[in-house]
Amino acid sequence: MSSNAAPAMPPASADLATTWAFLEEGVDHIMTKLQTGVSYSKYMSLYTVAYNYCTSSKMSGASSDHPGGLSNRSAGANLMGSDLYNNLIRYFVSHLKTLREASDALQDEELLRYYAREWDRYTTGANYINRLFTYLNRHWVKRERDEGRKGVYPVYTLALVQWKTNFFMHVQQKNTKLAGAILRLIEQQRNGETIDQGLVKKVVDSFVSLGLDDTDINKACLDVYKEHFEVPFIDATEKYYKQESESFLAESSVSDYLKKAEERLREEEDRVERYLHTQTRKPLISKCEHVLIREHSELMWESFQSLLDYDKDEDLQRMYALLSRIPEGLEPLRKKFEEHVKKAGLSAVTKLIGEGAENVDSLDPKAYVDALLEIHQKNSETVTRSFRGEAGFVASLDKACREFVNRNAATGTSTSKSPELLAKHADMLLRKNNKMAEEGDLEGALNRVMILFKYIEDKDVFQTFYTTKLSKRLIHGVSASDESEASMISKLKEACGFEYTNKLQRMFTDMSLSKDLTDSFKERMQQNHDDMDINFSIMVLGTNFWPLTAPNNEFIIPTEIQPTYERFQKYYQTKHSGRKLTWLWNYSKNELRTNYLNQKYILMTSSYQMAILLQYNNNDTLSLSELVAATSINKEHLTQILALLVKAKILINEETDQYDLNPNFKSKKIRVNLNLPIKAEVKAETTDVLKTVDEDRKYVIQATIVRIMKARKTMKNQALIQEVISQISQRFAPKIPDIKKAIDTLLEKEYIERVEGTRDTFAYVA
Amino acid sequence: MVLLVTSDNEQFTTEREIVERSVLIKNMLEDVGETDQPIPLPNVSSSVLKKVLEYCEHHRGEPLPSADSDQSQDETRKRSTDISEWDQKFINVDQEMLFEIILAANYLDIKSLLDVGCKTVANMIKGKTPEEIRKLFNIVNDFTPEEEAQIKKENEWAEDR
Repeated sequence: MSSNAAPAMPPASADLATTWAFLEEGVDHIMTKLQTGVSYSKYMSLYTVAYNYCTSSKMSGASSDHPGGLSNRSAGANLMGSDLYNNLIRYFVSHLKTLREASDALQDEELLRYYAREWDRYTTGANYINRLFTYLNRHWVKRERDEGRKGVYPVYTLALVQWKTNFFMHVQQKNTKLAGAILRLIEQQRNGETIDQGLVKKVVDSFVSLGLDDTDINKACLDVYKEHFEVPFIDATEKYYKQESESFLAESSVSDYLKKAEERLREEEDRVERYLHTQTRKPLISKCEHVLIREHSELMWESFQSLLDYDKDEDLQRMYALLSRIPEGLEPLRKKFEEHVKKAGLSAVTKLIGEGAENVDSLDPKAYVDALLEIHQKNSETVTRSFRGEAGFVASLDKACREFVNRNAATGTSTSKSPELLAKHADMLLRKNNKMAEEGDLEGALNRVMILFKYIEDKDVFQTFYTTKLSKRLIHGVSASDESEASMISKLKEACGFEYTNKLQRMFTDMSLSKDLTDSFKERMQQNHDDMDINFSIMVLGTNFWPLTAPNNEFIIPTEIQPTYERFQKYYQTKHSGRKLTWLWNYSKNELRTNYLNQKYILMTSSYQMAILLQYNNNDTLSLSELVAATSINKEHLTQILALLVKAKILINEETDQYDLNPNFKSKKIRVNLNLPIKAEVKAETTDVLKTVDEDRKYVIQATIVRIMKARKTMKNQALIQEVISQISQRFAPKIPDIKKAIDTLLEKEYIERVEGTRDTFAYVA
Repeated sequence: MVLLVTSDNEQFTTEREIVERSVLIKNMLEDVGETDQPIPLPNVSSSVLKKVLEYCEHHRGEPLPSADSDQSQDETRKRSTDISEWDQKFINVDQEMLFEIILAANYLDIKSLLDVGCKTVANMIKGKTPEEIRKLFNIVNDFTPEEEAQIKKENEWAEDR
């Protein structure tokens, strides 16, 4: 450090000229030759001289401004420093003038390199100077600022302010030479060239540093960055991508454009990370979204359908991701998607039943359900995969499914067709001999039933069919398993609530009670009688829970079972006195052993068949009228039953109205099932179910109206109808004429009345 | 280790951690880097530096007030005249030494020591009349009676405290 031929440190009492001469040499050394180093003694002497000057009590500068006296004193102690401060300004101004002149000939990257290099050197030096003049900052500058004087800054800030006015603004004034150079570099990078990103970052960062909030100098302020860089940058970005996207689309497909736009957006996000201020992200990205997406959204919407048609998953994903970035981007897609799903569903059903709808009546429930499910599943996957399961698309899918599930070529105008087919399908799944009743498979199939169930509008129709089917499964003991039945019921309960499945559960309860009852009855009979030749089991089922109707024909109980019938009747009455037992012969079944043939067969029959066949214990030939007399079954019905027995070759009908027992009956199986449904009964079943539904609905609507009126007391006609629809739509879609009819009924029964003097307001009658 | 040289040319060797209580020296070591050059302290005498180093050693490792400590923190620091027990004992020196320490703390930029010194002076002034204060610090009254009257009037708000 001996080479530092430093002038001797001036004494504490030195005047301004001597002091500044010493300081200026040091300041210039630090600003221009810092790489040659600074010794401790140089550092300490510069600090000490500045300190001594600021703490000296000479009044030279101040007293000339305020010649002695009271006013000066009352303003408080006079702090030395303004002379040093002004000299520092003068130094910076002349220092920067040299820098600026050297920059005049430079352009573009060369200019940026020069600027960045000088910025580094200048700010490092200014940091030193700032610390050497700490005392000036702590006292004179602080006091000036505390007293509200604008334009006085700590030395480092002062250096930046000077840089801005004397160098930065000067260069920028020449056609925004500096920002222009940065923008050209960025454009080169967008064109695929490699640029020095560190250089761009350094220059851009200097723009940020140059921002100054006059009221709080410690607060970051982006005004310089925004005005001189961000605004022109965003403009340039808009121009660039407008031009690029238009020419790209003129030559390439939308699919390719989606890729391109996605890539460009990612690049711009990266750009922010790499060398821009984070606050630029928002304006930059939203500008890019505008130019790259919004400006071309019409085109994207138009090509959406063909992407769907050809299952272009990746393109769909991309289109979704891009359009989701602008608020209005997705709605048209959701609409188109809904339409697409609906069409797919409708055409699947049309295909299934054939063009002329010729197969509607013989439609296989499984094929129907499978066709609907396939459409649902395919599009549901599309929603998950391509639209990230977004709620709006889920809603479109649901809406479309609801539409084609309830109204398609198979249903025509009937709202009960879909629930009926679905309930029948569920019935087949839950039956014993179902092929796919492998446990896991069955559970899955039931879950799929629930998917469609969700879309069914007339859930009460499904409920009624399901109840009927379930009662058959239970009575005939053909249910696949209690577990699966329970699982299905709990699924329905989850979807529709306790009330919906209440009856179904009660049916199960009755079944297990009946089993116990049969057991205890048998036990009792074994104790009391030893002539119980008949194997007997009974189901006692609650009238309100089971969709069963008592036979409307007379029936003479065959003498063979008469004792058992009476014993049970008596047993039950003692156990539950006051309960009325109605015997449902039409649902009962029997097994008869044959003794009249070489081979012993077991005939499985209905009670009516049993009653007929038992007559042949005493006769080999009977006429129709004799059989009518013996069983009391009406003639028409009896003929049908006999026809079945004849067909099964148990009886022979050679002469009109005469039936002979076939002594040569033969069958490959030992157990012969004669208990087959009669055609007319099948058809009647559907009609019955629908009649029940209609009947139920009337009551549901009436009950809902009463409930609403009880709560609201008075209500206008239109509002009441709306409320009824909204409360019932969970179960089925009520028709307005039905609601009006229900209102009329309630008026008649005086549950409600018209409010006097009005035409359309009702009041609740307590 | 850091070598310090006082105005009367005495050398002190101390640890960097201790001497860095002085923001001046801390900044310089950061800027220039650590070398084995002695650090000249032309404004501090050996007797004062000894006291200052004693203070610094006792308070080593305590957090330094940040350069831009916020206003409110600054205010509470100024308001309180509490001085810790050790500091009170430490600053219990003759008046001349007291002022020397204050000047050195100011020069070396040791804020907490400057506070201790100034608070001590403030405690000495507290409750005294101008006349008593002049006597205490050996100050000659150079006000004219008119000036004195006006100052009293301007500072009326400070009475009755």
